[in-house]
Amino acid sequence: MSWLGGLFKRRRVYAELSEEIREHLQEKIEELLATGMSRKEAAAAARREFGNVALIEEDSREVWRWPSMEDLATDVRYGLRILPKRPTFTLTVVLTLAIGIGGNTAMFTLIRAVLLKPLEYRDPDRLVSLSLKDFHQNKRDGSFTLKRVDEMRASSKAFSAIGAFLKLPENISLSGRREPEALVGARVSANFLDILNVKPRLGRSFLEEEDAPGAPPVAMISGRLWRRVFQGDPQVVGKTATLNATPHIIIGVLPDNFAFPFVGTDIWMARPAEWSVIPPGARPHVTILNGFARLQPQVSLQQAQAELDVLNRQYVLANPDRLDAGPGVSIEVASLKDQFVANVRPTLWMLFGAVGFVLLIACANVAGLLLAQANSRLREFAVRAALGAAGDRLVRQLLVESLMLAVAGGSMGWLLAKYALYAVRHLTALQLPRVGEIRPDSMVLGYAVVLSIATGILFGLFPSLQVLRRDLTAELRESGAGAGGGSSARPRILGIHARGILVVGQISLSIVLLIGAMLLIKSFARLRSVDPGFHSANLLTMKITLPPARYDTGQKRNTFFGDLLERLASVPGVQNAAVALSLPTTKGWLGTNVSVEGQPVVDGAARFESITPGTFCSLGIPLRRGREFTARDNSPAALPVVIINESFAQRFWPAYPRGQDPVGQHLREGLDKTGWVEIVGIVADVHEEGLATDPVPEFYVPTVVHPPQTAYLVVRTQGDPELFVNAVRSQVLAIDQDQPVSDVRTMDEVLEATLGQRRLTTLLLGSFAAVALLLAVVGLYGVVAHSVAQRTQEVGIRRALGAQPGDILLLLLSQGLGLALAGTGIGLGAACALTRLMNNLLFHVSANDPATFVTIALLFMIVALLASVVPAWRALGADPMVALRYE
Amino acid sequence: MKNREQRDFFPGAWEMMILRTLKRQPPDGYALAQHMSGTSNDVLQIIEEGSLYPVLQRLLKEEVVKAEWSISSTHRTYQLTAKGAKHGEHEVSRFENMLEGITGVLAPGES
Repeated sequence: MSWLGGLFKRRRVYAELSEEIREHLQEKIEELLATGMSRKEAAAAARREFGNVALIEEDSREVWRWPSMEDLATDVRYGLRILPKRPTFTLTVVLTLAIGIGGNTAMFTLIRAVLLKPLEYRDPDRLVSLSLKDFHQNKRDGSFTLKRVDEMRASSKAFSAIGAFLKLPENISLSGRREPEALVGARVSANFLDILNVKPRLGRSFLEEEDAPGAPPVAMISGRLWRRVFQGDPQVVGKTATLNATPHIIIGVLPDNFAFPFVGTDIWMARPAEWSVIPPGARPHVTILNGFARLQPQVSLQQAQAELDVLNRQYVLANPDRLDAGPGVSIEVASLKDQFVANVRPTLWMLFGAVGFVLLIACANVAGLLLAQANSRLREFAVRAALGAAGDRLVRQLLVESLMLAVAGGSMGWLLAKYALYAVRHLTALQLPRVGEIRPDSMVLGYAVVLSIATGILFGLFPSLQVLRRDLTAELRESGAGAGGGSSARPRILGIHARGILVVGQISLSIVLLIGAMLLIKSFARLRSVDPGFHSANLLTMKITLPPARYDTGQKRNTFFGDLLERLASVPGVQNAAVALSLPTTKGWLGTNVSVEGQPVVDGAARFESITPGTFCSLGIPLRRGREFTARDNSPAALPVVIINESFAQRFWPAYPRGQDPVGQHLREGLDKTGWVEIVGIVADVHEEGLATDPVPEFYVPTVVHPPQTAYLVVRTQGDPELFVNAVRSQVLAIDQDQPVSDVRTMDEVLEATLGQRRLTTLLLGSFAAVALLLAVVGLYGVVAHSVAQRTQEVGIRRALGAQPGDILLLLLSQGLGLALAGTGIGLGAACALTRLMNNLLFHVSANDPATFVTIALLFMIVALLASVVPAWRALGADPMVALRYE
Repeated sequence: MKNREQRDFFPGAWEMMILRTLKRQPPDGYALAQHMSGTSNDVLQIIEEGSLYPVLQRLLKEEVVKAEWSISSTHRTYQLTAKGAKHGEHEVSRFENMLEGITGVLAPGES
């Protein structure tokens, strides 16, 4: 029999059943009438003997049903009918849940894609990163020299292969096709794809011999570049592209989403140490390589670490005076994935914790709303119970309703999460690694579904339990009779204790979030107030990478920059311009050993910077002593001179600024045994690695000494720097029409970008905390308003008996303030324990900063007071006579 | 509100009694209720008469009884089906065996 047929048949069965029961009663009544009863008595007696007609009819029908499925359908239908009748309630609940579930789903996707999922290479657990740690110098450096890498490769047995890549992405110009273009390039050891176990989508990977100096120039390109510039040409392998003015043969195309070692890399070249920034002779000796490796199948991380410890000791003994062989130097092996995501891990976990809190608060709020709703529906429940609905049916009805709300909230949350993730993928400020792997997949969908159902049950359970515990028949009897004294009015408040507990929980969670957000805001403010050491306003910056093929000598490079600055000087509106190896606040560590004449050799690692005359003036870095570089200093025939910063002066002349004047003294760079260089000036410290990092000793040389291959042009302009972009670019092209510029930004933008991740984190946690505060206050307001409403009559009586409004106000406020106080107390305790976890996200603020804790506690109490005063005031304002009759 | 268990003695008791009653004559629901309370020395009077209907529906669904609206009156009468007759016999004999066992245990000890 078909399902439809079954339905029709059932309809007839039900009709017959009703008919039959009616007949039964009729017959009974007639029989009783025959015994002399009145019709009314007979009807009552017949019904009494028959039992609850509705219930029996319901039970009889139930026989014909698919057991619970159909009840469920009934409940859902009922829910669909009743929920839209309360639009404000329904909308509030669904929105609250959407925010909670959406936020959690989005964060879960991030956590899963970035932190949890194994890297998308074969056997990812075998992949490790190798880094150099120097505890003696405060972990300044994580990179190796080429010599180190070669030695590790030669003697290590723990790894099946060791690879290296240049620690920073390099600008590579692509010319000869359309406009010259600057691309993100990576320099990697030839074995990099073998280690990762990735096959190129086209062509081949590098050969071992292509890592040797002097090998023919070859390059691999990204799938993105392949499609964009080469139109997806399947014959691209073997073709030539002009990279850095040198024809390179394209040997392979990498798969889409391949993002090693950097997100957004378009060009890969072999010979990792051949960084154009570093003069060729110095390349084996500078620490610019990051190591990675694949462990041998049976070797554990600890065994590999032990082997590297031995190798490191041998290296340190053999090379005592090298920069990377100090007494505190060690090599650290870590999972490649951990290393990859180290910069965002604490942030992501903190945000995940925060959205978890928001969801809990949202659930508590919804539970509170449902309780209030259940309260006003007691009559409905009582009627339904009297009509024969069993307790478990009522509870099921409530649960079905809350699940429907949860599913609606979850669906909206899912959309919200998808939108948020789309935004995250395009927010470069977050500096997320593995950003290409972020996508909501079936696992995430499962998470959202489970979360919705779990929350639905969680917040639906509270009112259900409360309803179960109530004597619903008492409800019917009581209503209409009027609540007598204050005591009998009270029990009618459904789950007021449960709501109180919920509100205390909400308050404590939001206190934790508020304190966390406040700490981040404070950190951010302190960071913003750090003086970077230069004036960032009205500065235009851009990156210029001179192709080594065309600019193969230092003289050619220096001439280019000299010409450019000369041309810019005549551009109207340009105040002054300069060229520097790197931009303040964005520098990585580029250091070298330094010794000072007449002083014993100490651990003299100092940052190195190459600049043209006028750089300090252009950047607004104050000169403390001596003089700036002059044009004469920057000519090939000049005596070499150097300018140091104040940290440098303090390091070697601890009495600075008193005592012997460093100006006029001499220093020597690296292991260079030739000539001492005179210090001609001292400038103020600059936060070269970003505002959060303290300045370190640094020395500046004129570009004639180290003519950079890649340099930054800094132009101080009159008025908005953006307006000068084209004028400056045209001056570059006027000298060399194949020369691209890249990274065109104002210095303010550069500075902001270094704060981007922090700003975003602060903003996110701040908004979570704001939502939490709002929800908690609404929850508190709800409880207070409800209980005040229940006590309206009591207030009337008290006033009629002469109580002062002040006393009554105090009485009404005490409940709300009690809850707020309890929640705040618990929240402060929890925050005390939890904020410690975010210690490394803070800047110059203690995780248990007392001022923050006190401020937040006070702030919350004020808000709580307001939330309680409003309903209390309204109750007081009511006419006592009306209040007395209030029901 | 009485809950469901109170309306039944033990699982299957109603079914058995109904099947037994129907074996002799095909009555309608009302007559069935009267008959059962009458022949049980009114022990069953404490039970609501209506309790009969869910059980009858169950038996209808299991096709051990069938119901017909009589043409003369507005009553619906119930009849055992062949399956029902067999089922009833089986149930009764099972019950009698069980009752015998229980009586044996409840009887005053002989030792």
